Amino acid sequence: MGDVEGSPGSSMHGVTGREPVLAFSVASPVVPTDTSANFKVPVDSEHKAKVFKFYSFSKPHGLTFQLSWISFFTCFVSTFAAAPLVPIIRDNLNLTKMDVGNAGVASVSGSIVSRLAMGAICDMLGPRYGCAFLIMLSAPAVFCMSFVSSAGGYVAVRFMIGFSLATFVSCQYWMSTMFNSQIIGLVNGTAAGWGNMGGGATQLLMPLLYDIIRRVGATPFTAWRIAFFIPGWLHVIMGILVLTLGQDLPDGNLASLQKKGDVTKDKFSKILWYAATNYRTWIFVLLYGYSMGVELTTDNVIAEYFFDRFDLKLHTAGIIAATFGMANLLARPFGGWTSDFAAKHFGMRGRLWNLWILQTVGGVFCLLLGRANTLPVAIAWMIIFSIGAQAACGATFGIIPFISRRSLGIISGMTGAGGNFGSGLTQLLFFTSTKYSTGTGLTYMGIMIIACTLPVSLVHFPQWGSMFLPPSKDPIKGTEEHYFTSEYTEAEKQKGMHQNSIKFAENCRSERGKRVASAPTPPHVMPNRV
Amino acid sequence: MATISDIFVVTTIVFSCFEITAYGALFSSLHQTLILNSSTSQGQVLQAGEEQVTITWSLNKNYPTGTDSNYKIVKVKLCYAPMSQLDRGWRKSNDNLNKDKTCQFNVVTKPYKPSNNNFTWTIEKDVPSASYFIRAYVYDYVGEVVAFGQTTDSHKKTNLFQITAITGRHVAINVCAACFSAFSVISLIGFYLVEKRKGKSLRR
Repeated sequence: MGDVEGSPGSSMHGVTGREPVLAFSVASPVVPTDTSANFKVPVDSEHKAKVFKFYSFSKPHGLTFQLSWISFFTCFVSTFAAAPLVPIIRDNLNLTKMDVGNAGVASVSGSIVSRLAMGAICDMLGPRYGCAFLIMLSAPAVFCMSFVSSAGGYVAVRFMIGFSLATFVSCQYWMSTMFNSQIIGLVNGTAAGWGNMGGGATQLLMPLLYDIIRRVGATPFTAWRIAFFIPGWLHVIMGILVLTLGQDLPDGNLASLQKKGDVTKDKFSKILWYAATNYRTWIFVLLYGYSMGVELTTDNVIAEYFFDRFDLKLHTAGIIAATFGMANLLARPFGGWTSDFAAKHFGMRGRLWNLWILQTVGGVFCLLLGRANTLPVAIAWMIIFSIGAQAACGATFGIIPFISRRSLGIISGMTGAGGNFGSGLTQLLFFTSTKYSTGTGLTYMGIMIIACTLPVSLVHFPQWGSMFLPPSKDPIKGTEEHYFTSEYTEAEKQKGMHQNSIKFAENCRSERGKRVASAPTPPHVMPNRV
Repeated sequence: MATISDIFVVTTIVFSCFEITAYGALFSSLHQTLILNSSTSQGQVLQAGEEQVTITWSLNKNYPTGTDSNYKIVKVKLCYAPMSQLDRGWRKSNDNLNKDKTCQFNVVTKPYKPSNNNFTWTIEKDVPSASYFIRAYVYDYVGEVVAFGQTTDSHKKTNLFQITAITGRHVAINVCAACFSAFSVISLIGFYLVEKRKGKSLRR
């Protein structure tokens, strides 16, 4: 397969609709097992694991999964560690609402750039060093929080800690070197979801640490500073574990990885062009900004909201806020599952409706959360909101692999960046100025989610249709082959660069839903090259 | 029937309880019957954790006798001046005392006496840097607010004082943070160099 093999969302799993929905393993006829290899799990010819067991610590595959998701989780913990402690920090540093809001924007903005750079760093140094470098060089930023004394310093430190969210890229890259591409979708989705849980865990952890340190005798304005040492130590410990226990490849050899990375069969400028000129890319960048972006924003504001609105104690507000982020454990995979389920019956149109329904439900309950007047009602609306938004994240990545075959990697990257950008924008609009209380901000954010989810109805695939329009009946333009090979010029087709896209097109015929059997065979399909 | 009227009575009592807790006393309905004085002067700056404020209070004799017949407890609080509430919704004033966030720090709680009340308060270490005045609320036997007194005027413009908070920073914490940061960077670079050297020697 091409150079985008293994990148997020590139899994071929599920495209035929004939494999089991939750693929934890790849059967032997599909990908042959290398019986000469001496690993605890069945592996393919590149010694990538064919089986995914989320509880496994076996060297190197299972261990890589654990190191990878826990490092990403740690970075989420430190990026959002300040959020539940804001009621104390705002008094210590004499912050205004604008300062608190700006710091929230800063915490998610840094990683827009660092995620883009991380891909190149992983290519140069390998994912193990990429992860270790990022996590250990951002540890000083976390420790720096303990000597912040002004609003400017606070914003700057949160910005620097936010760079560490680029571990998302190293995590996904590292897994793609260890797991076969047929199951990489589920592996990466699980790692991403479990990493995102860090945003919830931190709302629980930091107030608890603050309480314990207070009880030992520290004053409030000192206790929160000491509490930041724990995420800092987690960074250092995870960095050391990654360096000592991790390895870049199943066989432990970095040099051959670098050789592979040099061979890029496709030009970056071409890939970027086809990503940028496909209008669906931009719609999904916007959409992800209002599912993942909203999740990041809520991680930043929800603890303070419950503390102020319902007069709760700091650690009570933290426990409630934590349930929002922790729902990622199941909600994100649930969204992917409903997407696959809808596709089986209604094809791509089902996937689009599924995404619209989940994200709009999230928006409605975000609106209601801002207006809730009693605590139990607010908690109930928050839980439904979290399930809607996080399942929408999972559902988004159920559609992205089908937007383009050639530019899949870049589209995934741009969508991820869109999530962070959406979060920064929303915090700037609704949670920074004193015009709106946090409750009003949540209500407006809910309205914006509903409005910004409507564009999904504009996503139209000629071969599969859209939410409101059926697929084109044109025998040439209405085929998967035409859509995916239209990204190559005639000259490139002469060189045979489009072969992988043809194969993909054949395999994703199931996105027509139950009409697969009645689909017209395209007139000049190339014979299957096995 | 007995059971229906019982239910009716219970429901009425329950709902009337909700009314009391839902609305709370309104600040504008209270009379300023206490005269409150503090040892601070306009614009004075005090250091939290170190300096002290002495507060004295007594009943305003201009009110008719018997005004204080139901006064039981006095709670003295430290309150934010309007300039410190600006752009900070978590310190907002609200006429409904259940929702009011103006006075967030308790100074002292004492039983009510019409005169001869004083208290010297050492400013706590968790008080933020801001402008303040002092207000005392008077509670009756049921625990409801019935009157108040404050050291400033009704517009909260006169006789305000500043408190400078502690930073919360300590030399020990700064040193530890610097040490751990250095450890992180040095161990990373050290590891990288050691592995590079091992790789070179293997290739020879």
